[in-house]
Amino acid sequence: MRIGFNFTLGPTLELVQQLIAERHIDYCELLIDNFLQVPPAELAAAFDCPVGFHIMFSKFLENDEATLVEMAARLRRYIEVLRPIYVSDHVARFTHEGRQLYHLAEPEYRRDYEAMRARVAWWQEQLGQRLLLENYPSIMDNGRDAPWFFQQIARDTGAGVLFDASNAVCGQRNCGVDLTEWEPVIDATNHFHVGGYNASILAPTITLDTHDRALGADTLAFLERYRDRFDRPGATLTYERDDQIEYDAIVQDLSALRQIFTPTPELRHARIA
Amino acid sequence: MPASPEIRTALLESDLLDALMVPARQGEFARDSRAFVRLDTSLRAYWHTLFDICPELLSLSGPDGLAIFRPFMAWAAERQLSMNWTYYLWVHRWLQQSPFADRLSPQLTLSLMAASAARWAMGDRGPNGGIALGSAELPELVVAWKCHTVTGGREVECLSLEEPLPPPEGGFGWFTLPGFELDNFPGWSPIPQ
Ligand SMILES: [Fe+2]
Repeated sequence: MRIGFNFTLGPTLELVQQLIAERHIDYCELLIDNFLQVPPAELAAAFDCPVGFHIMFSKFLENDEATLVEMAARLRRYIEVLRPIYVSDHVARFTHEGRQLYHLAEPEYRRDYEAMRARVAWWQEQLGQRLLLENYPSIMDNGRDAPWFFQQIARDTGAGVLFDASNAVCGQRNCGVDLTEWEPVIDATNHFHVGGYNASILAPTITLDTHDRALGADTLAFLERYRDRFDRPGATLTYERDDQIEYDAIVQDLSALRQIFTPTPELRHARIA
Repeated sequence: MPASPEIRTALLESDLLDALMVPARQGEFARDSRAFVRLDTSLRAYWHTLFDICPELLSLSGPDGLAIFRPFMAWAAERQLSMNWTYYLWVHRWLQQSPFADRLSPQLTLSLMAASAARWAMGDRGPNGGIALGSAELPELVVAWKCHTVTGGREVECLSLEEPLPPPEGGFGWFTLPGFELDNFPGWSPIPQ
């Protein structure tokens, strides 16, 4: 398993470079649309490792086509120069009746399937390469249709899934989607995310995908339990942290992930005489 | 006495979309429900976007911010404001017609302009490199640039030009800059909803 870290903003570059230099990570995932004014060659030169692309604000399900065509043209330049391991985007609602949602909403997968399928296929074509779609950290019962949606959309468009293990744990905790329902999705992809979650301030508690703290015990247990399903040749797992960014805490989580995915199972289970 | 509102049971996001940015509607949902907490989480995101960036607003409203937040969000919902990068400029417009109107300082106006310019620089995905904001009441120009080096972030500057631009008509005006140089003035655009 190749383990990576997300790079979202300039000020954390030094930290990311240190993670690379000290071999805590094997690749870096760039929140690419934050850097569309940085010359691609300059971006490429900053990372002494492979990169993945994560697109945050294309809003490809909602934005008008002209805006997206123009953005895709710029994204393609970065794809050409940086040759990312994968290109991923988000399946979410960013607006409601023209008003911006600050906590994104989950789509209604079955009701809106046809329109979403058409847009995913079209956006993938604009990007000129296979697109991976990340699963949403469900709160409401929309999440119950998520495992179905990600399988169906892959069949219909050829798009893959960037399977976020901790988002699936959020969905399990908030709306009872059993983690086993994701098995076919896990089996069909090679690219994964994981991050810390936090409880909502008010009760009854919901679990929010906050990326601001250590990985939950149930997230680690999920990875451990499905270790061999996740860990295949070419697989990547990005540890996401975009708040409370502290080097030692990050290294601790990265080490926990390394330990789960250590390549020699005999050693992992070896007993100390 | 007004009739108590009907308590709704929401299970899907679509049951909640209309209420995600309207504090007054939170009470339509059962206090002990997932929907209520999901609305609270959404509303908090708008609250923090305003008061974490412009904490000086709290000296007007009191520490919970609600004397500004609740009436502003209701006013924004009535006008269907997009809540895009112009959020802070509309807060200013609301403040001007609120009980806080006589407590607004040029510093607060500049701070709200800087917050909006920064939000544009962080969130806009178009090809332009910068944005300039002006106010009819202040001589300064607030300019924000998108991150354009790998180690950098967005930058916000408050400039006093030797030859000031003509003031925008009615409140605020803005224009974008294709590169990273304040080298042209295409005229002011009005602040979008
Ligand atoms: Fe993720």
